[in-house]
Amino acid sequence: MKEKDPEFFIQGVLKNNRRIIAKTITLIESSLARDKKVSFEIVKKILPYSGKSIRLGITGIPGVGKSTFIENLGLLLANSGHKVAVLAVDPTSRKSGGSILGDKTRMEKLAAHENTFIRPSPAGKTLGGVAAKTREAMLVCEAAGYDTILVETVGVGQSETKVSTMVDFFLVLLIAGAGDELQGIKKGILEIADALAINKADNDNIDKANKAKKIYEMALHFLSSSSSSWNPPVVTCSSILENGTENVWKTVIKHNKLMKRTGEFDHKRKEQAVEWMWNLVDDGLKKKFMETSIVKKEIPKISKQVKQGLISPSAAAEELLSYFNYKNILIGT
Amino acid sequence: MSDKTSIETWKELAEKQLRGKPLDSLNKTTPEGIEIKPLYTAKDLENIEFNNSMPGQEPFVRGPMATMYAGRPWTIRQYAGFSTAKESNDFYRKNLAAGQMGLSVAFDLPTHRGYDSDHPRVSGDIGKAGVAIDSVEDMKILFNEIPLDKMSVSMTMNGAVLPILAGYIVAAEEQGVKHDQLKGTIQNDILKEYLTRNTYIYPPKPSMRIISDIMAFCSKEMPGFNTISISGYHMMEAGADSVLQTAFTLADGLEYVKAALSSGMDIDVFAPRLSFFFGIGMNFFMDIAMLRAARFLWAELMSQFNPKNPKSKMLRTHCQTSGWSLTQQDPYNNIIRTTLECMSAVLGGTQSLHTNSFDEAVGLPTETSARVARNTQIIVQEESQVCNVVDPLGGSYYVESLTQSIVDKVREILTEIDELGGMAKAIESGMPKMRIEEVSARRQARIDQGTDTIVGVNKYLVEDEVHIEVREVSEEVRDEQIARLEQMKKDRDNDKVKDALNQITKAAEADGNLLEACLAATRARASAGEISDAMEKVFGRYVATTQCISGVYAAESGNSELVESLRKRTKDFKEKTGRRPRILLVKMGQDGHDRGVKIIATAYADFGFDVDLSPMFQTPEEAARIAVENDVHIVGVSSLAAGHKTLVPSLIKALKKEDASDIKVLVGGVIPPGDYDFLKDVGVVDIFGPGVPVTDSANRTLNAIGA
Repeated sequence: MKEKDPEFFIQGVLKNNRRIIAKTITLIESSLARDKKVSFEIVKKILPYSGKSIRLGITGIPGVGKSTFIENLGLLLANSGHKVAVLAVDPTSRKSGGSILGDKTRMEKLAAHENTFIRPSPAGKTLGGVAAKTREAMLVCEAAGYDTILVETVGVGQSETKVSTMVDFFLVLLIAGAGDELQGIKKGILEIADALAINKADNDNIDKANKAKKIYEMALHFLSSSSSSWNPPVVTCSSILENGTENVWKTVIKHNKLMKRTGEFDHKRKEQAVEWMWNLVDDGLKKKFMETSIVKKEIPKISKQVKQGLISPSAAAEELLSYFNYKNILIGT
Repeated sequence: MSDKTSIETWKELAEKQLRGKPLDSLNKTTPEGIEIKPLYTAKDLENIEFNNSMPGQEPFVRGPMATMYAGRPWTIRQYAGFSTAKESNDFYRKNLAAGQMGLSVAFDLPTHRGYDSDHPRVSGDIGKAGVAIDSVEDMKILFNEIPLDKMSVSMTMNGAVLPILAGYIVAAEEQGVKHDQLKGTIQNDILKEYLTRNTYIYPPKPSMRIISDIMAFCSKEMPGFNTISISGYHMMEAGADSVLQTAFTLADGLEYVKAALSSGMDIDVFAPRLSFFFGIGMNFFMDIAMLRAARFLWAELMSQFNPKNPKSKMLRTHCQTSGWSLTQQDPYNNIIRTTLECMSAVLGGTQSLHTNSFDEAVGLPTETSARVARNTQIIVQEESQVCNVVDPLGGSYYVESLTQSIVDKVREILTEIDELGGMAKAIESGMPKMRIEEVSARRQARIDQGTDTIVGVNKYLVEDEVHIEVREVSEEVRDEQIARLEQMKKDRDNDKVKDALNQITKAAEADGNLLEACLAATRARASAGEISDAMEKVFGRYVATTQCISGVYAAESGNSELVESLRKRTKDFKEKTGRRPRILLVKMGQDGHDRGVKIIATAYADFGFDVDLSPMFQTPEEAARIAVENDVHIVGVSSLAAGHKTLVPSLIKALKKEDASDIKVLVGGVIPPGDYDFLKDVGVVDIFGPGVPVTDSANRTLNAIGA
């Protein structure tokens, strides 16, 4: 394998070579500058082949049954001829930097299905970083011919907001609790959801799930939705019943058709592309800022002064930013 | 001198001997969280709930029988199953002649999981961990010339209980033995399979129904047969301490009792036939006290159902010495470990016992090691004179007090389980499994740190490896099994079989007795796999949800230097190559022992690896695909059931086919040293036997990927 030749990877991806798709994503995820350069080339060249998919973001707190839901939904799609890629982001331990990536243990059949590609990735230490990488990995999967991309994120917090800016449809999975439905759910997450799905609506749980559905419907009523033409619905689903996730998919399709008809689909994707650009600019600026030699030197000193209360945080920020100007970038790097 | 002053005097003397260190410095806290003092006195008996109790009477702390071993010693029951029914039969008959009083059958993994030997998913597992049984024809060979009306037969079967029990009954019928003459035990304890060993077939709900059906049938037709053996052994082997083992086992038992009651059975009809199975580890007094505490608590738990027969409250148990405490290093030490554990089980008052062979950390027992294991018990029974007195430790300040401590701790967990809605619900929540895995990871960390001593492993190491002979399982077993299966299918009336199988499916859909339906199919020569499939159509096959703990290993190691140096290595690796070392841990074939994999996963993540876990029961091709997609540096294969010689080469071949020969493969688990060369020749980069500290294996893993 010619490891560093972009053309090699591009051809492999376009031919849907599993090994090379995987290696390409590894390159995208790499923290080495030389790998980044190669992956930049690859992403640039596959861009025309990408974009022809439905991008579905799925989130929910641990224990809500995300992986099993994806197994069920993924099989439904893969069995009907769809080519499904799953990108799952797993949390990383702050202390050790290591991660346990166990998603596939709950996606036994989907992982072995010929129409699928599943890649779990460690979140790493910076959440923003992983979002950018997931986005590029998504483009690779699309170029390789996958028509449905499921992006799974764990937990609650910043990563969800990031993921919602790269998908066409953002689904929040919930389970019916005992009366404390709205607790622990951030309002912000409900605001970016295109639909809520109450999972585990099966057997003895059906009544509870239906009750929860009503409560969430009420709650959504008071929130403004992201689109003027789409009111996020609340649906129930089950990952253990056959086709128990079908109504979720129907909702996704309905949304997709509507958004395409109103033109919001293209508009959103274009907006997302611009937003992504700004994300990259943010990241790049911060990186360059941190790498500026004078800033690097001053940070410990100024941080200490802030801690000791000798200067205010805003004055400190002002001071640090003052070291950072066009000239310094050139000198500093 | 009064008692109190003598204690004061002792304290003074002790503190003098300690040269100023406080007396408390001699206190120890066990993994169960029990505080152990250096001295127990009569004062410690004051708050015991079962002072002056008697053997054979409620609450049975001192033993279920009045005369215990003074009347009749425990039953020596060695669990064994060789690859084929024929070999196993020879072995049983030899052992029976040599003084063994009952026989115990170990089945191979495909049989457990409801697959016939010709199933494509099981090629690596046939005849490996026990005997392969595909039909009643195999069963008849297994019990050839063994009179089933006289011999007590114990069968370790949980997943495929119905076809196996039916096979045993039909084999007996064809020997001319009546149902009510059959005696023995079938393990039939499905709940613990979801916790530890993973040899289930169906989801919990239909599995519980199968148990009720078996109880209903046997209580009518086979009154001398124990329909369930509620087992803590596998929990201990998975790392549970004595309190967890007792709590989860009793909670499982309670769940079965409730299931039987709700199916309309009378408590006194089935409860006297419930038996237990405990594992005995190296904490000598702890496990003596554990058995005593378990009997007390069971009597207490059963009282709520108001049984009239005192036997309904009586906990009778089989015990087995720990396989986990056996080491591959300096393996003859294992004979001594097993002897101590044997004594512990005996002093705790077990009803029957299996002692492990010293070579079981390395491979399957040989004829010699099996003889030594059996003789360990015979010597204790016939030479040591321990059988003369009932409960010789009754009244011991320490043992009674320890028994009470275990009772208290177990009650806490039982309450917790009750609050979750019973054991079935607790299992669904993942609580028991996580608890066991956490304790297990902590233990591994203590061993790796040398806090817990294991001779030959982390202390008093021998320079030269001690080589012992290991039994090989021939690869021809599969062909033999398939040939016999094909022959049977040719000779039988296929319409009749089809009809009988449909009846099973119908019974599964409605509420006919499943064992009765399976008996009819077995008589018609349906195979075990076909019978299992007939139910799977309705019940589905259970898929485990894997949860993994994190941070536990490093916490117990106190983030030691060893851990720090590993973290540095993984970080350096990332700086050099652009990402962290990434390892896929896989379980292939039907081997469901996942304790090792879980510990490695949590420890490696604590060291800074990215650790991928595969689903259980993978084929080599499926495992290779995950390795490729996740683009790992290395695959770690965990093998505890002798499938490595087939599965590992297939994995390496599958990786090559995916153009991924650069992904390295290493193997951990129970691998006979004689197979190391074979594995290295097919391309395995390293092999970790039992007893290799996880910190060592992590370093060697990093070496293997060029870190």
